[in-house]
Amino acid sequence: MTLRVLVVEDDREIRSLMQSSLSVEGFEVQTAASLSEARALLRHAPPDVIILDLGLPDGDGELLVRELRQHRTVPVIVVSARHQEAQKIALLDAGADDYLTKPFSVAELLARIRVALRHRGTALAAAVTVHALDDLHIDLAAHRVQRAGEPVHLTPTEFKLLARLVRSAGRVVTHRQLLADVWGAEFTGHTHYLRLYMGQLRAKIERDPAEPRHLLTETGVGYRLADA
Amino acid sequence: MTNTPLPHENRTARVSGWLSVLALLAAATLCAMALDQHVTLMSQAMIYVLAVVIASYKLGRLESVVCAVGSVSALNFFFVPPRWTLVVENRELFVALAAMLGVSLVISHLAAGIRRESQAARQSEQRARQLQALSTKLVSATSAAEVQEEGQKALDAAYAGSCTLVLADEAQTLPDNSGVPDAVLDGLRCCAREAAVLGPGTGRWPGLNAWYLPLGDSGHIVGAACVRPAQAADTDGREHAQALCTLLAQALVRLRLAASVQAAQGEAQRHQLQSTFLAAVSHDLRTPLAAIVGAASSLQTQRERLSLAEQDRLLGSIVNEAAYLSEVTENTLQFVRLSSSAQALRRDWESVEEIVGTVLARVRQRDPARRIKSSVAPGLPLLKADPVLLAQMLGNLLDNALKYSDGPINLTVYADKAALLIAVKDRGPGVAEADQEAIFEPYARGEQSSHRGAGLGLAVCRAVAQAHGGQLTLRRRAGGGSCFRASFPIEAQPLTRELP
Repeated sequence: MTLRVLVVEDDREIRSLMQSSLSVEGFEVQTAASLSEARALLRHAPPDVIILDLGLPDGDGELLVRELRQHRTVPVIVVSARHQEAQKIALLDAGADDYLTKPFSVAELLARIRVALRHRGTALAAAVTVHALDDLHIDLAAHRVQRAGEPVHLTPTEFKLLARLVRSAGRVVTHRQLLADVWGAEFTGHTHYLRLYMGQLRAKIERDPAEPRHLLTETGVGYRLADA
Repeated sequence: MTNTPLPHENRTARVSGWLSVLALLAAATLCAMALDQHVTLMSQAMIYVLAVVIASYKLGRLESVVCAVGSVSALNFFFVPPRWTLVVENRELFVALAAMLGVSLVISHLAAGIRRESQAARQSEQRARQLQALSTKLVSATSAAEVQEEGQKALDAAYAGSCTLVLADEAQTLPDNSGVPDAVLDGLRCCAREAAVLGPGTGRWPGLNAWYLPLGDSGHIVGAACVRPAQAADTDGREHAQALCTLLAQALVRLRLAASVQAAQGEAQRHQLQSTFLAAVSHDLRTPLAAIVGAASSLQTQRERLSLAEQDRLLGSIVNEAAYLSEVTENTLQFVRLSSSAQALRRDWESVEEIVGTVLARVRQRDPARRIKSSVAPGLPLLKADPVLLAQMLGNLLDNALKYSDGPINLTVYADKAALLIAVKDRGPGVAEADQEAIFEPYARGEQSSHRGAGLGLAVCRAVAQAHGGQLTLRRRAGGGSCFRASFPIEAQPLTRELP
């Protein structure tokens, strides 16, 4: 079955570039230049992934993401310029799955789409419980974390934090989402908790905490557990 | 300098006036009685005339008339036979008394005129002196507030009633928050709108109890004043108020002109800077653009004749140049953002270890030989910082070190009591002592102009450090090379709740 990608982007050059490079990879590509066009396409044929550019001519993408999230789990990847930081975070918090900052390479775009498709439907299917990359092995069900075969001892909070990242492995998880899921909704402003606990986790899991392999920081946005 | 006394002062003056009339009459009578045996009735009459002259000169018209009538009556009563009656026996004496009354009235009238004139002359001299003093003071005034203060003082000194002076804002409207009563403010606004004096004697709103005077002309209103008391007949008083207001308006207009000239000069200077800046930026943008267009067009037109390796080289050059272009653009935008005062940092508690991690992940792509050795002290305090800016600063410093040196590069992050320090050390040729400050200026480059495009990099780095209350300094290393050190003040750390 061919996977269908909807590209919502108002710049013609970037739109056609994405169309051709995604078609080459075997995707069926639909394009929309505005939110209203995207809405019309969504009514007809639901795509498997949506690539959504920020700053469309007819409104804020946040509204579209909220509408989508009411009854669909289709992955949304936000494409933003560097200065659209706040908007990007708002979209991620509203339910978008990942983001790309312009300028990006085709390789990055494809990697993001692969991760997004892998997570497709996880909201309904059984959650990911095992994660393994290089010498790191995490089994959430067994409550076990190993590095190079050696067990790593984590405090309950550290484990909860790591577990949250494992369930979204490969995707960015915003500060707000992490704080709400690990500490509770009233702690969403306490970014410093994350800094300290992530520091502790890096010290236990990473070989060189200053150049992490697994626990990647998305500056100003959140964290991502590397899965490749 | 009071042109009309206040009501209570008026009453006291009246009472003392009448007392003076009584005293004069009594003194003249006593004097005439004392001389009764030695002089004729004519001399006694002269004593009374003297009293009338004094009264005429010193007191008001009514008092002097009463004094004249009183003198004639007293002379008649005490000295004209038959004495101790008001009956006049002799027709000649009757004529004399009538003449004396006439003389007294004429003197009193003339004296009152002289007095009024001399008072008017004194007042107009005082007013002229006040205008001159005010204009001298206003010449040295440097702010509108100063002009207002001087103006208020002058009005208060010149007029007995309560006076108000309000300055207009740039839009020529009088502000609400001046603490002026609404009725007065309405009057001030009305006169400013009509650009004309309102109040008694002006033909506009003559029923008001004050004059409302605009400062400035129609279309150039700089304020308005309210002056009390105001009387229709007091033309001099109104003209003086207008003269004061004209002086104040001139001073205010002069200040505004000076300010706009200064603003225009600043603007011109900014334009000059901007065009220098733009010239430099466009140079930095054009060079990589030329490389990209060259490589891309070569692929477009000559692809069949190029070897695969050649094609790969051109493609690589396009990707690299584009990446460089995006870096220059980012630095330029950030520099402009940091230079504008409205820049608001998005500060949060940040871990420098994390920022180092993300920057290294990016910079390593240009550091295949892993020349950068990083050492981040464990347990560093958090910084309240804008992470995107910190990452950009560190990225620029590391990129520069890779670009301008060939040996190992050391990145060390550590903290002392007060500050968190980030040091980037290389073994490159170093920067000449004389250039050590200049290289932080936008588009001032060291000697190696063969390398292009650090243009704004270090200027951005320093701006980032300073925006966080920190510093970025450069020193030469013993044994060659440069050491860039950024220091950031450590703030009180946030409290954390330890979970089980």
